[in-house]
Amino acid sequence: MMPPAFEYYAPTGVDEVIDLLEKYGDDAKILAGGQSLIPLLKSRITAIPYLISLSGIKDLSYITESSNATRIGAMTVDSDLEYSDTIRKRYPILMDALGKLADPLVRNMGTVGGNISHGDPSNDLPAVMLALKATFVARGRGGNRNIKARDFFLDTFTTALEHDEVLTEISIPVWKEHSGGSYVKFEKGTWNFSVAGSAVQLRLENGAVVEAGIAITSMGPKAMYIPEAEDYLLGKKFHKSVISEAADIVVEKSQPSPDTYGSVEYKKNILKRITMEALENAFRRSGGVK
Amino acid sequence: MTEKEVSITINGETKTAEVEPRMLLVHFIREIAGLTGTHVGCDTTNCGACTVIMDGRAVKSCTILAVQADGKKITTIEGLSKTPGKLHPVQKAFVDKHGLQCGYCTSGMVLTSFWLLNKKKKVSEEEIREAISGNLCRCTGYESIVDSIEEAQRNLEKEGEYTEEEIPVRRGR
Amino acid sequence: MDLSEKMVTGRGNFVDDINLPGMLHLAFVRSPYPRARIKGITGGITSRDIDMKMASVGEGASAGFEYLEHPVLAKEYVGYVGQPVAAVYSENAYEAEDLVDTVDVDYEPLTAIVDPEKALSADPMYPGLKSNILADRYLGEDFQVDAPVVIEDHFVNHRIATDPIEPRGIVAAYDGKRLTVWISTQSVHTIKQGFCQVMNLSPDAVRVIQTDTGGAFGLKGGFYPEYVVAAWLAMKEGRPVKWIETRSEHLLASRPGRGVVGRMKLYANREGRILGIKGDVIVDSGAFAGGSGEFSSRFIAMQITGPYEINNAHIHALSVLTNKVPQGPYRGAGRPEAAFFMERMVDKLADELHMDPVDVRMINATREPFKSPTGLTVEASKPFLEQAVKAMDYQGHRKKGNFGFGWFVLVPATMPGETARILVEDRGIKVWLGGTAHGQRHDLFVKSILADELGVDPEIVEWQKGDTDQLKEGVGAWGSRSAMMGGSALVEAARKLREQVEKKYGKYSVSKLLDGKWDSYEYFHYDKPYTSLGANLITVSTDRYGRVRVDECISYYDLGKVLNMDNATGQNAGGCAEGIGQTLYEGLMFDDNGQMITSSIADAGVVKATMVPRYRLILHRSESTLPSKAKGLGEAPTIGTPVALSRAIEVATGLRITETPINPEYLISAVQEP
Repeated sequence: MMPPAFEYYAPTGVDEVIDLLEKYGDDAKILAGGQSLIPLLKSRITAIPYLISLSGIKDLSYITESSNATRIGAMTVDSDLEYSDTIRKRYPILMDALGKLADPLVRNMGTVGGNISHGDPSNDLPAVMLALKATFVARGRGGNRNIKARDFFLDTFTTALEHDEVLTEISIPVWKEHSGGSYVKFEKGTWNFSVAGSAVQLRLENGAVVEAGIAITSMGPKAMYIPEAEDYLLGKKFHKSVISEAADIVVEKSQPSPDTYGSVEYKKNILKRITMEALENAFRRSGGVK
Repeated sequence: MTEKEVSITINGETKTAEVEPRMLLVHFIREIAGLTGTHVGCDTTNCGACTVIMDGRAVKSCTILAVQADGKKITTIEGLSKTPGKLHPVQKAFVDKHGLQCGYCTSGMVLTSFWLLNKKKKVSEEEIREAISGNLCRCTGYESIVDSIEEAQRNLEKEGEYTEEEIPVRRGR
Repeated sequence: MDLSEKMVTGRGNFVDDINLPGMLHLAFVRSPYPRARIKGITGGITSRDIDMKMASVGEGASAGFEYLEHPVLAKEYVGYVGQPVAAVYSENAYEAEDLVDTVDVDYEPLTAIVDPEKALSADPMYPGLKSNILADRYLGEDFQVDAPVVIEDHFVNHRIATDPIEPRGIVAAYDGKRLTVWISTQSVHTIKQGFCQVMNLSPDAVRVIQTDTGGAFGLKGGFYPEYVVAAWLAMKEGRPVKWIETRSEHLLASRPGRGVVGRMKLYANREGRILGIKGDVIVDSGAFAGGSGEFSSRFIAMQITGPYEINNAHIHALSVLTNKVPQGPYRGAGRPEAAFFMERMVDKLADELHMDPVDVRMINATREPFKSPTGLTVEASKPFLEQAVKAMDYQGHRKKGNFGFGWFVLVPATMPGETARILVEDRGIKVWLGGTAHGQRHDLFVKSILADELGVDPEIVEWQKGDTDQLKEGVGAWGSRSAMMGGSALVEAARKLREQVEKKYGKYSVSKLLDGKWDSYEYFHYDKPYTSLGANLITVSTDRYGRVRVDECISYYDLGKVLNMDNATGQNAGGCAEGIGQTLYEGLMFDDNGQMITSSIADAGVVKATMVPRYRLILHRSESTLPSKAKGLGEAPTIGTPVALSRAIEVATGLRITETPINPEYLISAVQEP
């Protein structure tokens, strides 16, 4: 299958991208790595008259670390994160997700910004970014705007980005010592997409949770952040009943739809189990499991 | 639509052509460069029959627009061996270990293996299986492909003495 | 050049690699409805242009269903999603795809018949039919037994896409006198036969040339509507025409395999002796005759009794019309279904009687060659079973747990034999076989045979792809038959050649052979079954999500003389992966309205490298009485793997397994609540 015809632009600066987005409005879409968008075009489910590629912009691919944040350029290829020492040391949760994201070849082309801004509820990185409490930098006509991950995902394929804004950077805070996270993904048989994914990030003091981020994949119209689970976990130490109850809260907030990969009941059952596994991993990685 | 001029260096040779922006890289390689060793097997970025090396990474050329590859360096299966008439150690391993049956997934498997072994010298069986999880084979059950990649690893380990040998004529028995 | 070297350097010549000057690209407008009346079509090539009906040729072919023959392009009705309705073309493949949208079809949707069991009693799909039953036969005689143990069960093997990594494709050209087609196929001869029948062409006017064929698994032995349209357009325009199937088209409109329901009732005594079996085999045949649906219900029913001595069997073989693409052969093609139904019943019997499953099998194995009431012939199976159990260390695995055992009779498609040709010239040897390899590496066993028979260096032996101009007759490569039938034809052709050399020079020598030019053709006729036995042992582990991981996959197979070990292990390892796929992942799923839900090759369940274990093949050493001394090779693991794996999962989870692919939702019910 081959894509329908479209006009293609590959400007060298973000401002030109914004010009084009303003000019073509809803007829235009940004192309990052294309690993979600090109299959969609090939299937002819969607037609996009104007495709604006970010590949000509030189400075959108980077990983820089500072004492309180890690900044990732939106066009950074997934596998650059996967093989980055900074990411491995700072965010085991992200390593979990990257190792299960599509396949190694797709990860060599797909970008972090693309995975996030596509707004696909079954993409893995949105839930991880929610759990890590990342901030996204959107550049528009008026300059940069910071959007918290929690405020970014609005609905299926809909994000807080205005149609003339470009996601340029992902900023992940550094989680201080005694913190750790985990992403557990339950795949659809031989398919790389998930029936459910659960992202958990914790920080402990004296073994008790002082900060938490919990979010889920493929469990509703968008990547869903579950603050109620965080509230529940604050002050609690690792115990089987604690992770079970926290997982119950997550399940209660989930909105899965039935399909060939399972009923609502089944998907909730899976979600409970993967959330417990992610919680246990997160506690262990934060040093909270004896 | 407006055609775009695209220059892509494939196996060391730069091909320049005016193409429709919608042309997929795999079709640029197959039709404009005339290199038909890169195959198309699915529409959904699952099978990996179209795998090529682009700027050092193994990627799926059916999910890249030719215009996205403008200015990039591509290695296809035809260009893996740098010496005409000789096999690259990864190719030789696939010949020696019966790493193919119908041959359709082979270019992708060989190139993904090449990329893997370039990236990491010592890989476990689990890492091999994970690395080729974006390349589907329906004939071998992956058994002989895993054997071939393990053999390729050994071949490359001996790289000092092992360069690119003459293509051996494979005996049939 | 050696095939391996060709492929690792990207020098294969697959059908999509062919580009001829002035070539047109073809694309199809397909039905979006499972069942509808066509009220009008505007644009494109339609049945007004090509008013032809498909022929049924090749593996599992059936004839005599004139009313239900598949139209090349839909006329009045469409019977499945994906059915070709119209065709468009352009000089550019992208533009051809664009043109699909320019054809307007006015449909009146009708209620689809989806479930094969419900289809048995549903209103007939087409006016003029009495029912949806396409084939209805009984095998064996009805019986009554006084059995203390009676067990019943209901089985489903869902449809499976054949999914070779290379989809279907064709290039057709016409020079004003003769049609030449290049095609990815299992048999150039069935393709030629298809063209001659459907387009009413004389055999001299058609040449079919095989391209490198990137897997087939039953798919590419058949003849398809798109081929006729490509040829018709090439003849009409006088320009070459190419059509390459997309994966999406493959999933929708290429004939899939399985799609079979079994309803079984087994009678036994308390010692585990099987006294009889009754049941129904119901094949989901799809919307037209001409696939293998009509044939396969009978073929499955015939094999139900397996390696057992069962003196009473009465099986109702039914093929039923549904609003889906016609069913076709997929690797195993009826054999895995029969083994699944029987072996699952035997395991259930063992559980019922609290007996070891192998003990029950041993009691029912036959000590003498046996012909069952359904017509299956089997050699003495008990000695084989004893050796299999020992060779695979059944007792050792039994102690470790989470294992399953299954065994079966492999019925290769021997009939009516096969052809071979050997051409010696310029000190080289070329070989053609009537069945054309599509991933089995016939090149390897061809070299082995000629090295043995003629004493030549295998390096000079070149296996050739199929070409109807090079080999006048031939059957096809399917049904585990090639080393048996093609191999035997080759052995006979080689012996004839030896005789010719001896006759001319008094004595045979390789140098005399290679100095001359020789051409030896043989049609090895064979009209009997030649069955063999196989067994599988599989171990699994399960996790907290009910997911199954296959840890060990061991086969103990009687392959006769193994002509090339790489051939044998490679094919069997591949089949094992497909068996794992069928059991755990592979299925083409439909909603209640008849729309296919399965959307990609990944969704269809083709297994990845991370999902299969190391494979182990143990040979039961024997030789057949055929000239090649080979026995059936190819389909065994697709028969033995699902039965052994299903049992292993049963042991690991305590859940009864009756359906493939196994629903993960069912599996999780065995795992404790977290």
